[in-house]
Amino acid sequence: MIAAALLALGLGAGVDACAPVDPAPRPDAAAAAEYRAVGEGERRAGVKDAAAAAYRSALALDPGDAAARSALSALCVEQRSASAFERGVRLMDAGHRAGAIEAFEEARAGGEDPSAALLEGICLYEEGDDGRARPLLLAADRDVGTRDSARFFLGLIALREGRSREAAALLEASAADRHLGPLALGLARDARRDGRLVLSMLLEGGYDSNVDLTPDGTRGAANTGDEALGATAVVRATPFGASGPYARLTGDLRQQAQYTPLDLLGGGIAGGWQAGHGGRFVLAEYGYEYRAMGGAPYLSAQRVVAGGRLALVPSGALSAGAVWSARWERFLAAVDAGYSGLRQVAEADLALEPTRRLTARVAWHVGRDAADDPALAWWETGPRAAVRFEVTRDLRLGCEAAWWRRTYDAVDPSLGVRRADDLLDISALLEWDVAAEWTIRASLLGRRAFSNVAAFEYTKVVPMIGLAYTVGLL
Amino acid sequence: MIVSAGPAGAGEHVLAGARLFRAERYAEALVEFRVAERLGSAQARGYVGATLVKLDRPEQAVEAFEAPGAPAPGDDALLDYYHALACHEARLYLRADRLLETIGARAGPRIGELARQVRADIAAALASPPSRAAIDWYLARCDDNAAGHAALARAQCEEAAALGARRADRYGVAEAHSRAERLKPARAEAR
Repeated sequence: MIAAALLALGLGAGVDACAPVDPAPRPDAAAAAEYRAVGEGERRAGVKDAAAAAYRSALALDPGDAAARSALSALCVEQRSASAFERGVRLMDAGHRAGAIEAFEEARAGGEDPSAALLEGICLYEEGDDGRARPLLLAADRDVGTRDSARFFLGLIALREGRSREAAALLEASAADRHLGPLALGLARDARRDGRLVLSMLLEGGYDSNVDLTPDGTRGAANTGDEALGATAVVRATPFGASGPYARLTGDLRQQAQYTPLDLLGGGIAGGWQAGHGGRFVLAEYGYEYRAMGGAPYLSAQRVVAGGRLALVPSGALSAGAVWSARWERFLAAVDAGYSGLRQVAEADLALEPTRRLTARVAWHVGRDAADDPALAWWETGPRAAVRFEVTRDLRLGCEAAWWRRTYDAVDPSLGVRRADDLLDISALLEWDVAAEWTIRASLLGRRAFSNVAAFEYTKVVPMIGLAYTVGLL
Repeated sequence: MIVSAGPAGAGEHVLAGARLFRAERYAEALVEFRVAERLGSAQARGYVGATLVKLDRPEQAVEAFEAPGAPAPGDDALLDYYHALACHEARLYLRADRLLETIGARAGPRIGELARQVRADIAAALASPPSRAAIDWYLARCDDNAAGHAALARAQCEEAAALGARRADRYGVAEAHSRAERLKPARAEAR
């Protein structure tokens, strides 16, 4: 019979500590003492429902048991807090974070409650209120049962604030939880590559089937392919974390195997301010870049960028973003001078992140190049779609496709026509983290250009493979 | 449900606990099993463990199953299954796996199938060598629990040792064994 009883499945019913206690038909003070002792033990062990049941039995057998009555009364207060906690969980599950925070506060008013502190801290973190979230998560960290989850979210806050080493340590400490583990270890790796000062370097080599393109991407005279080696270094500083001012220094070098007039050496500096982070932020940036090609000055450009992103659902799984940039380009070689002018690009997108491993994005793009030579000035517009998938913690795949229709302003005097081009770009990227700070990158970029001038139609294929090193220095 | 606590009442409390357990009134069932335990019932401690599993108190359940006086593994296949569930929920996966392995056909087809599923979950979770962070976590828990929960602490240290043994560098094995030895064994057999 007992074995059959133990096979029963399902959740147990709760014991109402606040309900009136009916006296037993035969009082029994000795039996009441046994129940009270069990109640005290269960209360110490934190099994409150069992403690309430035991005290209720003690009081039924001995209504004069003051100790049992007092303990049951205290459990009644705690149970009301627990009810607030359950309400908070329901509101949190439904995405009503403000109501959930209020309910968890009510639950904590009944006494120390690490679970309520944890969930309220998570809600506040998701609301972006890290200042209020941190002390609650630290309180949850003091309890063994909530410690892993608390450290996970403390790690996320540290990550958001740019304290990358602390973030990595917290995330790794939370990884023993088998549910959090895979995500925590991935984020810990990201944290080691993040921080208030980050250095990234990429060395790559590959082949470009059509290396000689003009500044606006038009097919050049040589129409030749060539191998190339490239190196890029970026230093990024975010002294106050993701939200706040930032600066970026970039240097890049490209050496062609044969077509050395296209060897490139460039650098840039940018500074800006981002307010907010994750699924809700705006940013503004100013930058300058300079490039030399084939050893001669080639481009001097100033750029401003403004953008932002807004989560459309509380989970952040769907968000909308917009970015606009304007670049004042001055091509320094006489042959390219006509391309100088103001180039602007605006793009609005919807991003869907159904799981942390998959991101899909669709965007609409509008571009305007007000080149000094009207025959080289254009408008372009079209869609862009991208998917990124984390196959494993160390392997990511991405692909992107875009179709842009470009219409030039004026008839080209040398051609006798006003050009209209369509550009189809397709790219794929594979990233494989081979060590904590090292990643192998393989990419394939393809472009097919269509034009009403047959001579400007071309195909470009660029397979590249490279090794990237990224480390958080501070 | 209130049962007299007279000298011959331990068995009645066990039966009352079983009835409440079947009615899914686990908190009240736990109280009856605890009273029976206080009155000297040898079998009640195992039922306390099973009820604590139902109440989602796996670490306390592990303590109940591993404390002196609890039924030894192998005595009752169903209690062994609950013991394994407690270990699994307390993240003592290798310990749970060893218990489930011994259940086999003893518990009947239903529990046997459940045991097989849990073992498959454990095998999947432990497919790759454990990280150092995971082993450190068990050692830290062992330290945290050493003062007031020796049986649980010892189980956590033994889990750390067993996990460390699955790594080529045997990270933490010696330390975990040493700490486990310092804790008074809850019960030596069948661990």
